[in-house]
Amino acid sequence: MRISDYIGQACGNLWKKKLRTSLTISGVVIGVGALVSMFAFGQGIQRNITDQFKKLDLFNYINVFARDGRPRRGHSSDPDEDGGRMEEDRAPRAERAEDPNRPVLRLDAQFLEEAKKIDGVEAVFPEMRFPAQVRLGDREEFTLVQVLPAEVCRSGLVKLRAGACYASDDVNELVISDSLLRRLRVREPEMAPGTKVEVATLTMDFSLSRLLRMVFSSGGLDLPLARENYAFTAVGVVERMGFGGPIPVQSDVLIPPGAAAKMRKLSLTSVWDLFTRAGGTTSYSTVTVRVKSPQAVGPVKKELESRGFRTFALMDQLDQMRIGFLIMDMFLIAVGMIGITVASLGIVNTMVMSILERYREIGIMKAVGATDGDVQRIFLFESSTIGLLGGLFGLGLGWAVSMVINAIVNTLMARQGAPHMEYFSFPWWLCLGAVAFSIFVSLLAGVYPTRRAARVDPVVALRHD
Amino acid sequence: MDVDAFIETRDLTKAYTFGAVEVTALRGVTLSIARGHLVGVTGASGSGKSTLVNLLGGLDRPSSGSIRVEGRQISDLSKKELALYRRNTVGMIFQSFNLVNAYTALENVAFPLLFAGVAKKERLRRAAEILHAVGLEARKDHRPPELSGGEQQRVAIARALVNRPRILLADEPTGNLDSKTSRQIVEILSELNKHQGLTIVMISHERDLLREYASEMIRLHDGAVVDREVLGQQA
Repeated sequence: MRISDYIGQACGNLWKKKLRTSLTISGVVIGVGALVSMFAFGQGIQRNITDQFKKLDLFNYINVFARDGRPRRGHSSDPDEDGGRMEEDRAPRAERAEDPNRPVLRLDAQFLEEAKKIDGVEAVFPEMRFPAQVRLGDREEFTLVQVLPAEVCRSGLVKLRAGACYASDDVNELVISDSLLRRLRVREPEMAPGTKVEVATLTMDFSLSRLLRMVFSSGGLDLPLARENYAFTAVGVVERMGFGGPIPVQSDVLIPPGAAAKMRKLSLTSVWDLFTRAGGTTSYSTVTVRVKSPQAVGPVKKELESRGFRTFALMDQLDQMRIGFLIMDMFLIAVGMIGITVASLGIVNTMVMSILERYREIGIMKAVGATDGDVQRIFLFESSTIGLLGGLFGLGLGWAVSMVINAIVNTLMARQGAPHMEYFSFPWWLCLGAVAFSIFVSLLAGVYPTRRAARVDPVVALRHD
Repeated sequence: MDVDAFIETRDLTKAYTFGAVEVTALRGVTLSIARGHLVGVTGASGSGKSTLVNLLGGLDRPSSGSIRVEGRQISDLSKKELALYRRNTVGMIFQSFNLVNAYTALENVAFPLLFAGVAKKERLRRAAEILHAVGLEARKDHRPPELSGGEQQRVAIARALVNRPRILLADEPTGNLDSKTSRQIVEILSELNKHQGLTIVMISHERDLLREYASEMIRLHDGAVVDREVLGQQA
């Protein structure tokens, strides 16, 4: 028999039983649709996360922590304490043992200079944050201000929604996040560049009047603190991230280091910082190292660790992320497979019914010279046609449902201020794979009934009424 | 062994098992049929006529004994070879016509060519040609339920002939037809025998009608040949 005849026979026979065929195909459509949308959701999430990381160049960053410089637990400003701790746990015992004569490792200006010289390093900047009140018009919000060099601000790390980064490290300009602007009741964040913003810092005030007030205040709870106001111009609006994570830039306000140096402020995010400053020189809790390419992450990390620092790179987490994604995919597929399994039972049922109904016809086929293989293939083409149509329409259904869900979720998320995101992804291999898988499952479902058909005894079948 | 025999059976036995009971349908049938003969097979119900035709047609296998057709041992053929034998060497017609009701007369006739791998256009051309030969060209687009018994049997004959077989096996082709139509059908078969040299084995209860056209009559009783008569009409 010719391939075209098998196809013609399959289509013709299915067409004759339109209702039954369409019901069976509907089962496959629902099964494939569910599987496809589940899988597309998994793919969408993965793509969003990895794309965001790539877009922000996050794989090019290494966070460096001083081994002794700060508490190892419970420090809120550490973007990923766990990652850092993990690296430390891997360090050899001997290295961890404290040597009283060993100089205390500090993440200070000298470290920044030395780190810049490591092969593959593009930029080094410390994590500097201080608490401040940000005033815009008559509204004021408390936030952490991050000091970020202009050069880093201009890199891919900062995703600007409007305006630009500050021109140099010494200007009184800042970049503000759209979410803070929204909190400050700015309706159109795009219009913010050029706006005057006041940044108020906390300083120590040991003036006589202040000290007197402290002494005579009720309960003596007053602290020698004062407020200093600085005028800035907002030049850029940075987009809020769609998700949280160990990222080097995560403050709502970014200012250049030169401007920060001119400000009187308490650069404290916790009391622990008071102890680390006690040594006299300024050291930082975290330093971020930007490397030229993700390939440089390994060697640079090794070099920094050999100097006794703890490091954390998102690149290291990639494999674990992949395993996580795989587990998520497996779970989604397992749920999606329920529909496919039910649909395949529907195919078995349809094929068994079809063969029972055409028992005599199978006898005729054999009497006029059909081989067992011919008979089996005729029915296998029928079941795979169900699979093909079910797969194609299922793909369409999965896509349509995904689009509807995507639109609904985005509408809801937009109210929360989240950016528009495609939660589903339909790569070409998913589309092809879904149809191929549907055909494969249908073929599998057709094996038992078609074997039964091939075994029909023509003598019995021709006597059959 | 008869060297001129076209179809030859030797000690042909066929037994069926129904649960614990074994029923012997044929008991050591030995016969030979010459090329171009029209052999009538008669016998009471259950005498083994249909079993003999099914074995000759390669639809079934003997329990013991052998069948040779055109010098080829068909009782030893594999399942696939038997299918090819049915496709290329024999054509069969049945009392209940065994047409596919979902197909038109033309499609029914073309059906065997599907398995022979003939292209659709050629299949339909050849089927139309044969339908024309059996006088049913005008009914080619009708489905079997829309045709009379005689017309259905003519479609079945056309289908049996479409692969140009050398043997035609007819299992009571007139069993469901009135006497007038029965005669027409037997006449068609006789014509095919005379003009195309087709070797025909025909089972019928209508012994007298068969005797008018057959070159040889065989009577089966209880699975064995009890009578054999050469009549002389021969292609």
